[in-house]
Amino acid sequence: MSHHWISLTLNGETIEAEVPANRLLSDFLRDQLALTGTKRGCETGVCGACSILIDGEVSKSCLSLAVQAHGKTITTVEGLAQGQALHVLQAAFMEHGGLQCGYCTPGFLIAAADLLSRNTSPDDAEIRKALSGNICRCTGYQGIVDAVRAAAENLNGT
Amino acid sequence: MRNLDYLEPESLDEALRMLADYGDEAAVFAGGTALLLAMRQRMLAPGIVVALGGLSALRGIGYTPEAGLRIGALSRHSEIARADIVREHYPVLAKVAAGLANPQVRNQGTIGGNLCYGDPATDPPSVLVALDAELEIAGRSGTRRVAMADFLVDYFTTALEPGEILTAIHLPPVTPGRVGHYKRHLRTPAEHRPVANVALTLTERGGLWDDVRLVIGAATPVAQSMARAAAALTGQAITLDLAAEAARIAAEDLTPVSDARGSAAFRRQVVRATVRRIVAEAAGLDWSEAAA
Amino acid sequence: METSAIGQARPQINAREKVLGRARYAGDLKLAGMLHARLLRAPHAHARIVSVDTSAARALAGVRAVATGADVPDRRWGVGHKQQHVLARGVVRFVGEEVAAVVAETPEIAEEALDLIRVEYEELAPLLDPALSLDPGVPQVHEGGNLSEEINIDRGDVDAAFAGADLIHEETYTTHSQYPGYMEPMATLAEVDGAGRLNVWTSTQSVFLARQRLAEALDRPISSIRVIQPTVGGGFGGKIIEERSSVIAAFLATLVDRPVRLGLSRLDDILSGCFSVPATIRLKMGMTRDGTIVAKEVDILADCGAYAGLAGEVMTVTAMRSDNMQRIRNIRTRARLVYTHTMPRGAFRGFGGAQMSFALNSHMATMAEMLGLDVIELHRKNAIGPGETSVHDWKIGSCELPACLDQVSEAIGWGEKRSRAKAGGVLRRGVGMAAAMHVSGNRTIGNWDGSTILLKVNEDGRAVVHTGESDMGQGAFTMLAQICAETLGIPVAHVTVAAPDTDNSPYCIGTLASRVTINGGMAMVKAAEEARATILAAAAAKLGCDAEDLALVDGVIRSADGAHTAPLAEICRYHIYRHGGEGIYVKGSHDPQTVRFDGDFRGNIAPAYSFAAQAVEVEVDTETGQVRLVETYLSDDCGVAINPLAVHGQSNGAAVQALGWTLYEELHFEGGRVINGNLADYTMATADAVPMMHSMIVEGYEPNGPLGAKGASETAILPGAAAIANAVYDAIGVRITDLPITPEKILAGLAELEEASLA
Ligand SMILES: Cc1cc2nc3c(=O)[nH]c(=O)nc-3n(C[C@H](O)[C@H](O)[C@H](O)COP(=O)(O)OP(=O)(O)OC[C@H]3O[C@@H](n4cnc5c(N)ncnc54)[C@H](O)[C@@H]3O)c2cc1C
Ligand code: FES
Ligand code: FES
Repeated sequence: MSHHWISLTLNGETIEAEVPANRLLSDFLRDQLALTGTKRGCETGVCGACSILIDGEVSKSCLSLAVQAHGKTITTVEGLAQGQALHVLQAAFMEHGGLQCGYCTPGFLIAAADLLSRNTSPDDAEIRKALSGNICRCTGYQGIVDAVRAAAENLNGT
Repeated sequence: MRNLDYLEPESLDEALRMLADYGDEAAVFAGGTALLLAMRQRMLAPGIVVALGGLSALRGIGYTPEAGLRIGALSRHSEIARADIVREHYPVLAKVAAGLANPQVRNQGTIGGNLCYGDPATDPPSVLVALDAELEIAGRSGTRRVAMADFLVDYFTTALEPGEILTAIHLPPVTPGRVGHYKRHLRTPAEHRPVANVALTLTERGGLWDDVRLVIGAATPVAQSMARAAAALTGQAITLDLAAEAARIAAEDLTPVSDARGSAAFRRQVVRATVRRIVAEAAGLDWSEAAA
Repeated sequence: METSAIGQARPQINAREKVLGRARYAGDLKLAGMLHARLLRAPHAHARIVSVDTSAARALAGVRAVATGADVPDRRWGVGHKQQHVLARGVVRFVGEEVAAVVAETPEIAEEALDLIRVEYEELAPLLDPALSLDPGVPQVHEGGNLSEEINIDRGDVDAAFAGADLIHEETYTTHSQYPGYMEPMATLAEVDGAGRLNVWTSTQSVFLARQRLAEALDRPISSIRVIQPTVGGGFGGKIIEERSSVIAAFLATLVDRPVRLGLSRLDDILSGCFSVPATIRLKMGMTRDGTIVAKEVDILADCGAYAGLAGEVMTVTAMRSDNMQRIRNIRTRARLVYTHTMPRGAFRGFGGAQMSFALNSHMATMAEMLGLDVIELHRKNAIGPGETSVHDWKIGSCELPACLDQVSEAIGWGEKRSRAKAGGVLRRGVGMAAAMHVSGNRTIGNWDGSTILLKVNEDGRAVVHTGESDMGQGAFTMLAQICAETLGIPVAHVTVAAPDTDNSPYCIGTLASRVTINGGMAMVKAAEEARATILAAAAAKLGCDAEDLALVDGVIRSADGAHTAPLAEICRYHIYRHGGEGIYVKGSHDPQTVRFDGDFRGNIAPAYSFAAQAVEVEVDTETGQVRLVETYLSDDCGVAINPLAVHGQSNGAAVQALGWTLYEELHFEGGRVINGNLADYTMATADAVPMMHSMIVEGYEPNGPLGAKGASETAILPGAAAIANAVYDAIGVRITDLPITPEKILAGLAELEEASLA
């Protein structure tokens, strides 16, 4: 099996690592780098629990090999907060009931961050569409949608 | 997942050589979204993947009035959805790309991978047939072009020969009055893949439709052109009755898939409803009042 | 002063670590030297294991252990019926049953080793259809026949009551199995430590029940096992005591001298997870002209799959819970639980209530129409009220069911929408509603439904709560912290709830039967009161005044006249640093004044009962059969809502789960094999598949609950299916009696109507 040296920017830091060709990006993050915020929920590209930003775009890390991350800029849920300061989405999820068990939460935060980076004032339908690659079994989505809307309003100062 | 060699050719020639050298052992790897799933479910077990990521020849989306649109095979769905030239000249294609799967898959999956995988439960094939797309395919002996309609052979089977690579998708230049419509139907709102979809392209002349293409996807093993239904719509004033008649014909002519997500009869029914609606909507008629 | 800790919407106390991605779930844990396990599952629904050859797997480099049924303890485990070995022995009874396990250095090696295990099976005829299970000559799932349990309940004089009824209606309803669908697939990390103790971190709803089950299955003393609960990514009933992977993981850890982690893939989790109990319900009901229910006859056939687990208890709930919601006196019920060669079914949110709620509420709507009455009036007319004793001797404390009915009917515009002219178009709308009840607590696990809290108040005046009740995301820890803060007089932020750990937590039953708020909450009130008394006594001694004159508010002790004050921290230190001093450790226990069922299923099993109603509007596409939920209003009577944010979250989540059960989710079997065991084909709702969820709370006051509260959450899953089915009927006149409501069934129903109208 081929092994590869990859170098990438991960949550603002440059890292280098050696990965076997068949290692999934999600496993690389979780098992090799101990960034366990990125979850495994289905490993078939459906649940979105493994979502991360690759070059600023929401992606499912279980649908990608680690070697594909070479040269990319990646943000995981661990990279959202600035030190002790929560990302507006993190604060909004807490306040508006955007989470219960929390297992889906990293993926939703990432998908929502992608949305707000492209659309600063989404309506509810746009929010729901943007989150359609993620599954939450606890909240019924209302708290999540409320949180994303509130975060957008917060960013817009409305 | 089994052990793997991940090769990163830097040119199309090198990629083609690798495929020739390794034969059956090797698979082309674009975004990987479909391939990795198939490998994990052990439907495919290549020992070598030839990653296309480094091939600039397969990238980019460009338009010229003479040659029309060229979409590099490595273009991701989200890139197609956002590309200004696609939105301007082929808005229906941008809409399809923007509405399929989910945001993550649109950012990771390529149009080339979508087409080469040959999965019937997808969106782009029907609309590409309706837009008279041609596929540019590179092999060791050169490049050939295949009409989209001929590219799709059967479930998970395409006209690609072993060792060939899809390099680009070409759409003819837009002609005045030519418009496209697309509608996908989900069995339930919670489904992720279409159970049927319909693409409709036509040229409007004096309020009548000409050069009509009506193509069904997802409900059939490969996207199916509905010539009889299209003929029925050609040169006639479009009424709800005519829409219903075209829908009836299309449903009759359909070669439906039958599986856990929908029996043949169900697919026929859905195709009938969807065709009626897309035709009515294209003609600015309200289909919601009377049932067919 | 801080506003009350109760009744305010507030984030869960563990929300921050979750949004940071730093909450640790079992599959995130790693111990030095950790090995990985993978399981080999049976490909047949029913087969004899002729031989298992593990030699090639054992020989693979990196493999540390391979186990089969031959290696596991002889003792069988189970809830009531002791039927299961840790790994299948001799016979496999469903596709997916665990036949062998591998422990290896990496997950990849473990997987490779699975391929090297050769199992020879002799296929046997399977029994797949529960309707045939009791026929003569069919394959037997267990020795002793396919009937697992039967209950018969007879109240009043059913025949006489039917004879006096003005209207009798009978119908058969079928309900299907639902996957709990928690987002965290089962994961367990287990090790035998140097002292020989078995330490297990697992995704569970109850550490003590988990420990008890491990002791039984692994045949070792209870105290030789320690179960610790990491953060749990949802449970919904599936992680109580029926899943098997934690047992297998713990067993594997006893074979090697290193920690073993078994994290199930989603496909594995679906094959080995615990689905809800499918039931066929024949319901016959008699009413007088004014809508009074006078008699009911029920016949239930429920399928527990290959092993009984909690399915018997679930079926009991299906059989009798909803009887208590109404003032009915004459009931005859027969319920039978049968085995089939399919995956085991059991506990699921609502615990059997949803199955009967679908039948009962569909029936009520049908009979209301037959009588020319509004179904809401019918519910109101028959609803039990506070202070009443039900037909099965349940003592109803608080009951705001009528208020729930008011709330949902007003919110959706019931009267107006019911009376609007039926449009004849392609897309047709209709409204429907349903009402339900659930227990808060349940004295059925044994003759105890109690809960104990150990409370420590540290030398800085902050509190640590120890409980064996668990939080799978529903907010139990936040509820305890709020009650603790409110009762003790400190800010919520000063309360920590320690993770359940059988070595350190007081014995508790765990999270099931909506019992944690009501029973755990009461124990919390008592413990906090005790701590406050201890603190005030110490303060009185230190400050030289009477304890009765002192109050503890917001972390400060103050006398009524303001002459004496002291920060709590000072008093806590004083409690230690004096002759004969000690830290502040108190305990509060609460066991409600309930009874177990007698032999005839009578007795007040719960300290309180929760109620809910839901009204929905749907749109039916008459050409494609697609049903879309347009609006939904759910009203929950949970007593005082300690944390409205949590209650709304529970209600919304439950309503979407019910929606999924009704319209979106369906297991497909082929010869006993699940053919859609993945999340792409077993489709749980995503955000774009549901409308805005409206959750409402009717605030009552539950005298038996902590600060007036009772259970929320499970009740909310009960009305959804019938509300939707009733709305579909309202929209198109098609009555669907078998779930799920699929596009095909809608189209078939419409075709039938058309045929009938032509005939
Ligand atoms: C959860 C999920 C939901 C989805 N929903 C939809 C949907 O609603 N509608 C829809 O249309 N699609 C859907 N898809 C499919 C998605 O569009 C495809 O997975 C994706 O486009 C494949 O592209 P890829 O680059 O990842 O292909 P890869 O996985 O890299 O390749 C797929 C196949 O094509 C071959 N291949 C790839 N590129 C080339 C090339 N240039 N030349 C020759 N062979 C090549 C590979 O060898 C492989 O066999 C969904 C997928 C997922 C995972
Ligand atoms: S784990 Fe990647 S989408 Fe579910
Ligand atoms: S919070 Fe539990 S799955 Fe979303």
